[in-house]
Amino acid sequence: MSSIAATRVQRELKDINSEECSGQNIRIELMNDQFEHLKGEIIGPPGTPYQGGKFKLSIHIPETYPFNPPKVKFETKIWHPNISSVTGAICLDILKDQWAAALTLRTVLLSLQALLSAAEPDDPQDAVVAKQYKDNNSLFYKTAKFWAQIYAEAPGPTDTDCMDKLKKVTEMGFYRDPSLRALSSNSWNLADALDNIG
Amino acid sequence: CSDDYEDDEEDINNYYNNNEDDFADSEEEDGDSTSNNNDIKTSNNNDINQSGIIMTSKLEHFSSKTMTVSETNEFLWKDCDKASVVLSITPAMSRLVLQASKWKLAVIKTRLYKTNKPNFLESGLQNATNSKSIEKVKSSRPKVCGVCLETLHRSKLLALNCGHQFCDGCWKQHMVFAVKDGMSQGIPCMEPECTLLCHPDFVKQFYPVNQDSPLETAYKTHLFRISVSSHYQLRFCPGVDCTSVIYGEKPKPRKVQCLTCKTAFCFECGTPPHIPTNCETIKKWLTKCADDSETANYISANTKDCPKCHICIEKNGGCNHIKCSKCSHNFCWMCLGDWKNHGNSYYECSRYKENPRIASKNSQTQAREALKKYLFYFQRWENHDRSLHLEAQARSRIQTQIEEKVNSNQGTWIDWQYLLRAGELLAQCRYTLQYTYPLVYYAETGPEKALFEYQQAQLEVEIEGLAWKLEHAGEYQRGDIENQMDVAEKRRQTLLARFVTV
Ligand SMILES: [Zn+2]
Ligand SMILES: [Zn+2]
Ligand SMILES: [Zn+2]
Ligand SMILES: [Zn+2]
Ligand SMILES: [Zn+2]
Ligand SMILES: [Zn+2]
Repeated sequence: MSSIAATRVQRELKDINSEECSGQNIRIELMNDQFEHLKGEIIGPPGTPYQGGKFKLSIHIPETYPFNPPKVKFETKIWHPNISSVTGAICLDILKDQWAAALTLRTVLLSLQALLSAAEPDDPQDAVVAKQYKDNNSLFYKTAKFWAQIYAEAPGPTDTDCMDKLKKVTEMGFYRDPSLRALSSNSWNLADALDNIG
Repeated sequence: CSDDYEDDEEDINNYYNNNEDDFADSEEEDGDSTSNNNDIKTSNNNDINQSGIIMTSKLEHFSSKTMTVSETNEFLWKDCDKASVVLSITPAMSRLVLQASKWKLAVIKTRLYKTNKPNFLESGLQNATNSKSIEKVKSSRPKVCGVCLETLHRSKLLALNCGHQFCDGCWKQHMVFAVKDGMSQGIPCMEPECTLLCHPDFVKQFYPVNQDSPLETAYKTHLFRISVSSHYQLRFCPGVDCTSVIYGEKPKPRKVQCLTCKTAFCFECGTPPHIPTNCETIKKWLTKCADDSETANYISANTKDCPKCHICIEKNGGCNHIKCSKCSHNFCWMCLGDWKNHGNSYYECSRYKENPRIASKNSQTQAREALKKYLFYFQRWENHDRSLHLEAQARSRIQTQIEEKVNSNQGTWIDWQYLLRAGELLAQCRYTLQYTYPLVYYAETGPEKALFEYQQAQLEVEIEGLAWKLEHAGEYQRGDIENQMDVAEKRRQTLLARFVTV
């Protein structure tokens, strides 16, 4: 790892975990002492289906950082138009062509938090989620909240209808993740979900 | 080579023939180049170029020049000098303005005179809101470089006009990566959302003078590529390993030829010359041919059976009028029909007859019909292509035959020249004919298409006539062949004159 990348990550970590930033509900930790792999966490912002959830991120710092953007993806499964519900890949301009060397990991995490508050369904990463977001927003809200509760420890009572259906599918012998994805992608219709599970 | 542009004023006219005052110069109007320069290779209309193809049609070409990399660089910096005077900024900064305006100085001038505001915003020389960052520059306290986060003294920080200051180490690294990634828009400022771009003078301070530096080499290549690709009058030669740049004074979708490697291409789209088909259609056609190459493969056979005696015949000449070696039946290679019907009357062979009741048929039938139609045109396209190759071989045979004749005192070289000219003209006509097929394939049914098909058929008859006479040159008089050449070329000109627009 080049010295500029390492020293900069070091400085950024000091800054992000300082008192000043503690109110922003974001965190970054080192995975090893190479500064190559970092673990991030953002708290779901209030007023969103993700409220209070803890979303873990994997951050890879390229050799050419900060002249090229870090590679960031969601480790915690999330139901969001701009984030792949399968891989956690993120569609965000500053992580691609709009990256600037003076942007920091802190700004990246804050931008991701902002993305949770305001999705951009017209520039989707996950087409199924984006379609649901546009066509049936209340169903999207219910699904996203349920995912946050299942995967991100978001507080509050879970939707009993969703929970029952998930139980039914898993009791038939399917794993939880594909079951939940199939139900969510098929408007929580049990028969359709079973037809399209994979 | 930023110094190149300071030393010579007198040969500026070599590049700017009638461009001397660009303001009045619009690229639309037609007219001959008044150029008569010596040091740049010029290909003009109405002469025979080095490859020997006779250029007779103004519809097919426009005057172009072949330039080397250093000639092109000199040419570009001269444009920068001119723009610099107009805009009252340095030539290096002018370069960004020119790149954002396709290097149309006339457009830049018009805009300046009309609005009093140059397009510095789109050029990356100015931000939409430019005020607040400038104030920061005035503070003399030590500052932090926003990229490496080191605390530095103001003197070590550098900024573009936006005032976003970063240390020299970070700028340099940024430039190295930016040119390596081949950013097509230039090197941006490192501040988020800042739209400024680094101009050549700003970049220059990060590499040593008078000494080789990887950044300098990479940056100059990068800058050259951006400049040529953004210039409305310049194109990289598509020839393999050729570094030449072609200058077209008044760009059009027409044929130009690189005089270094002889590659001919359409100035507009870079594919092989394709009139009378337009750029958009040829692109569609070539993509389709590439996609459907599997389907079309089976027809690319070099042998067919004689429709009368069924002996297997191999086609080894370009001519599509075939005479069976066994039964002497004259037939057409394309449609296997009797050659008698391909005579002077209406020539049906080139025309695909659409099934008029096809719209009412089911989708499977329609798909089969669509494939049939495509194969019909593809087969002709492909066949003329093969004929062109075979006839190119024939031309070199003619060359040898002429030499033999001259050596055995059967006339002089000049006496037999007409055979070579006929071969070249045949190639030229057949090439145009080949490129009529994509146009017809995509044309809407109607009187225009009917007229085009009629003229296409007329041209095809004369081309095959010429091919036949040339393959049997011993049986025909010189006058006969020259007459046939004349007729074929006239048909070609008629078709182009009627159907080539823009
Ligand atoms: Zn720095
Ligand atoms: Zn800037
Ligand atoms: Zn070339
Ligand atoms: Zn073209
Ligand atoms: Zn026969
Ligand atoms: Zn025929």
